Amino acid sequence: MIEQIQSRVEENLQDLDGIVALRLTNQGAAPYLYQSGDDVAQLVMEPRYPVSETVSKLQKRYRDANFGIVARGCDTRALVEMSKRHQIDPNRLYLICVACSSEQADACHCSEPYPILDQWPRSELIGEPVAGAAPHPLVAEYENITREDRWSFWKLQFTKCIKCYGCRDICPVCFCDACALEDPLWVEPGLLVPDFPMYHLIKAMHMTTRCIACRQCETACPAGIPLTVLYDLIRADVADLIGYLPGADVDSKPPLSLTLADAPIKSDLVY
Amino acid sequence: MDYQNILTICPFCGCGCALNLEVIDGEIVGVLPANDHPVGRGSLCIKGWNAHAFVNHQDRLTSPLIRENGGFREASWDEALELVAEKFEGIKSQSGPDAIGVLTSAKCTNEENYLLQKLARAVFGTNNVDHCARL
Amino acid sequence: MEPVQIEHHFEPKIVAFLCNWCSYAGADNAGISRLKSPANVLPIRVMCSGRVSAEMILRAFRSGADGVMVLGCHIGDCHYINANHRTVKRLPLLQKLLGYTGINPDRLILDWVSSAEAPKFAKVTSNFVTKVRAIGPIAEELGMGLRAPFNARPIEEVTA
Repeated sequence: MIEQIQSRVEENLQDLDGIVALRLTNQGAAPYLYQSGDDVAQLVMEPRYPVSETVSKLQKRYRDANFGIVARGCDTRALVEMSKRHQIDPNRLYLICVACSSEQADACHCSEPYPILDQWPRSELIGEPVAGAAPHPLVAEYENITREDRWSFWKLQFTKCIKCYGCRDICPVCFCDACALEDPLWVEPGLLVPDFPMYHLIKAMHMTTRCIACRQCETACPAGIPLTVLYDLIRADVADLIGYLPGADVDSKPPLSLTLADAPIKSDLVY
Repeated sequence: MDYQNILTICPFCGCGCALNLEVIDGEIVGVLPANDHPVGRGSLCIKGWNAHAFVNHQDRLTSPLIRENGGFREASWDEALELVAEKFEGIKSQSGPDAIGVLTSAKCTNEENYLLQKLARAVFGTNNVDHCARL
Repeated sequence: MEPVQIEHHFEPKIVAFLCNWCSYAGADNAGISRLKSPANVLPIRVMCSGRVSAEMILRAFRSGADGVMVLGCHIGDCHYINANHRTVKRLPLLQKLLGYTGINPDRLILDWVSSAEAPKFAKVTSNFVTKVRAIGPIAEELGMGLRAPFNARPIEEVTA
């Protein structure tokens, strides 16, 4: 399949100013902007990087350029959420979507390891979509965990945090210049470990209606904190109470700042 | 139009985590971790994530400055180094070589650290050499 | 001499975010009308309940509040037209998140109290204090010793 991706990239480079994909050199693999004439034999799909962030940076820098991107399912979901928040211009982006394999889906506990093409006017799909993987074992069993066990689990996990802000820096949908996590009012500077529950619960609240389950934060966490367990749980609630799934529909606006008429919530307090 | 990631080692501590510097048209704009590197394995600490910030920072010095009349004025490298050598010479002759100490840094290369201790021992004539990591 | 057992009676500390136009005025009226409402409640006046962010509520818990109430205008009566729509979406998600983390979500409530509903203010606050008294101190849940002020390290519990 990699040869197929490489040849499609080479063909599409005739019409585009550049295509963002991973490049493997003797120094390792990292995102790169392929341009016409570059050697596409260096293109790889592993290890995963948040390429959606790269294309966002490039689009902001070159406001007239037409870029392409080699994107997995999670990358396309990230692009959907970013375009709703004006971080991506979908009209200047061509998607070469790649479906993940079952092994890749299992590694990420991904329930949707394939891109949804009808959200993108200019896109193509390489590879056959496979069924989603089972959710993280903790998420599946969470109802049966008692409150004391939940508390001691998260207390242990959050004590490992070294406040590297890696989860925030690598998250494709985190882009605010004035980040609440850097505000000394909420997250006390110089205090390691961050006071429970400030840093992680503030980030989790900001991830409601944004998290697209790409697992980049967990991969980047030096302490191996299972952050996406919390985010998956709250995402299920957002889908249940508000009926919004991040990354699914490029036309549905983020619900938390809309009125109840546009984005209702199931609640006893709404009558 | 050029975007690439350049693999380098974080300049801060002695761990030696690798990171990718995101470079657009020759300008460093950000950092990505190096996912297949054996030391960091895709993780960075807060210093690593911000290793790009100091490179083009507006507070960085761009030329030697000499303090004069309570302020600073720009000077050439030759003038500045002449002044430094003259002053060190003065301190050494007045108070002896052990009045001078040399502090090296994890940000310097091994070769630069070697030169600094050579400067301290052979030129100044003192054993007062230490390193920021020991503090 | 036999050692004397001293009963430590736990009185919860409640922080209540009250919106300037409705619930704060309702609380004021409750006081004017001499209605009994518990003294455990620390009122914080905000211009609108929509202004109360998750960060503020979490900081209240971290600073030692055993319970947090957010009282705003009824839907449709908000002085800023529809800002309380945001509150009614934000708060249930924060309650769910607290529950997933292992903090009792009953420590946080949202309700609507208009300026004319002084008896409702008294009732809502009394019921909430009773509920939180039964739940227990937040210090035990968050693993803090004595309730430390926000910018200090938690200090070890001093046993009597």
